[in-house]
Amino acid sequence: MSQVLKKNKNLIYPGFLWFLVFFILPLTVIFIYSFTDNFIKLGQPLHFTLKNFLIIFERKYYLILLIRSIRISVITTIFSIAFAYPISYFLAKKTKYDKILIIILMIPFWVNYLIRTFAWKLIISENGIINKILLGLNIIDEPLKLLYSEFAVILGLIYTYTPMMVLPLYATISKIDDNLIEAALDLGASKVRTFFDITFRLSLTGIFAGTILVFIPALGSFAIPAILGGTDSMMIGNIIENQFMEVGNWNFGSAFTLALAAISLAMIFLYSKLFGLESIYKNQSI
Amino acid sequence: MNKKKPVFLYIYSTLFFIYMFIPILIIFIFAWNNSEGYSLPLSGFTCKWFVELFKDTIAKKAIFNSILIAVISATISTMLGTALTFGLLNSTLKNKGLILALLMLPVLMPSLTIGIAVLVFFRTLNIPLGIPSVILSHVSISISYVVLILLGRIEDFSINIQEAAIDLGASWLSSIKDIVLPILAPSIIASWVFAFMISWNEFIITYFLIGNNVTIPVYIFSQLRFGLSPKVNVISVLVTLFTIFMIAIFILTRSSFNKIKRETSKIP
Repeated sequence: MSQVLKKNKNLIYPGFLWFLVFFILPLTVIFIYSFTDNFIKLGQPLHFTLKNFLIIFERKYYLILLIRSIRISVITTIFSIAFAYPISYFLAKKTKYDKILIIILMIPFWVNYLIRTFAWKLIISENGIINKILLGLNIIDEPLKLLYSEFAVILGLIYTYTPMMVLPLYATISKIDDNLIEAALDLGASKVRTFFDITFRLSLTGIFAGTILVFIPALGSFAIPAILGGTDSMMIGNIIENQFMEVGNWNFGSAFTLALAAISLAMIFLYSKLFGLESIYKNQSI
Repeated sequence: MNKKKPVFLYIYSTLFFIYMFIPILIIFIFAWNNSEGYSLPLSGFTCKWFVELFKDTIAKKAIFNSILIAVISATISTMLGTALTFGLLNSTLKNKGLILALLMLPVLMPSLTIGIAVLVFFRTLNIPLGIPSVILSHVSISISYVVLILLGRIEDFSINIQEAAIDLGASWLSSIKDIVLPILAPSIIASWVFAFMISWNEFIITYFLIGNNVTIPVYIFSQLRFGLSPKVNVISVLVTLFTIFMIAIFILTRSSFNKIKRETSKIP
């Protein structure tokens, strides 16, 4: 590479510096907060402690909340795989209009999720559309209380994050060589066996990529449970917000935030060891 | 292979598209409904909520702030991100892998973590909350998206052209300004649109950093928490139409980029 081209290296610094100062440094600061029990001020000594993390496991309330958040996110992920698989398979293998259909499918995804969550509130509320229809058809006698429940939160999360599952699944399924499928069928494998041994196995990368893209934001969600959930369906995100906006315990709030970050980092690390990190963004075909 | 039409898949896919669009349709319908409540049956057509929205000073401020923040942060992050990507791809840097891995974090981490971290950071340093701090943070997030978009599009063809220009006597600056940037222009516009949309849609980080001010998502969220008004539907309709417009620009840049790519690849 010529001497002049070496100048290209300098182009990295302004952007990367901005990124370090306003992204990496703040993460370092909450890392310090979560292991101390006082405010950080220059010149003041820090008292290191593990207390903030111990509270999460000692108080039953926080533990229940953590388990609930993980349960909600796992259910959301499973349903998003189930909902996204057939449509991704259809787009990848059964239609030649896949490019335009993907674009159409991305329109609701790009509309702000608060707007879409608001729509679900209208659909499932006590005098909302679902209740009106069911009452009108005399299937139920009194309106169902769907809103402000864990069910409503899961419904909102599945709807919001399923497109994140479709993108990587569509990308991996369309890369599967049709000849492989044909060969398996020619050699006498049943359609079901061909699907599970070839198509499904080869699309596992997509499922894992999608799982990262769905599970992590679901676990960290705060607006959707705040709008659709009730007091008994609050998630980690709501507690964290509460700690910072109302209670003001930064050290404990930071510890909870760090726990959330640690879970997502562990998943990203596992994924990058298994498949390499590039495959996440290389699969994004939008 | 399978000659039979996959009937189940057709039905399922149609239902899936309906499922994806129904919530937006409902928002649209109630924006023109002539009653304060959201109950069926509909009570007649009206445009009064559009008028109401434009009488609402907070809503107008939210629209203005959202556009301001998105334009500034998209512009800064596109400039920084384009330079970063180009430098990363076309230089002999040892820690490329690490830098890329770090840049993936804003895409993969929950925005809640980011929002809290930046809030704590600013408060510790006594930096006041408000629009400037929102922009500082949005830029650091959008840089990652700009890099991701450009990584897929720059690949390796621009370096050869830059090398050729330098071999033919161009200076480094002129090789960037006159050769590389014009070729990358459609991709750079695409990144700008993407960065704009990231900032435009971003709610959680903005919510923590905006202080007493508002943006459209913050306005909608506060309306959803404390009483509802069809004004939210109207602002949602406007946001949705605008979103479709931005997606269209994004797609147009891709086709014009492919055209440039085809033409430059003809150069021997």
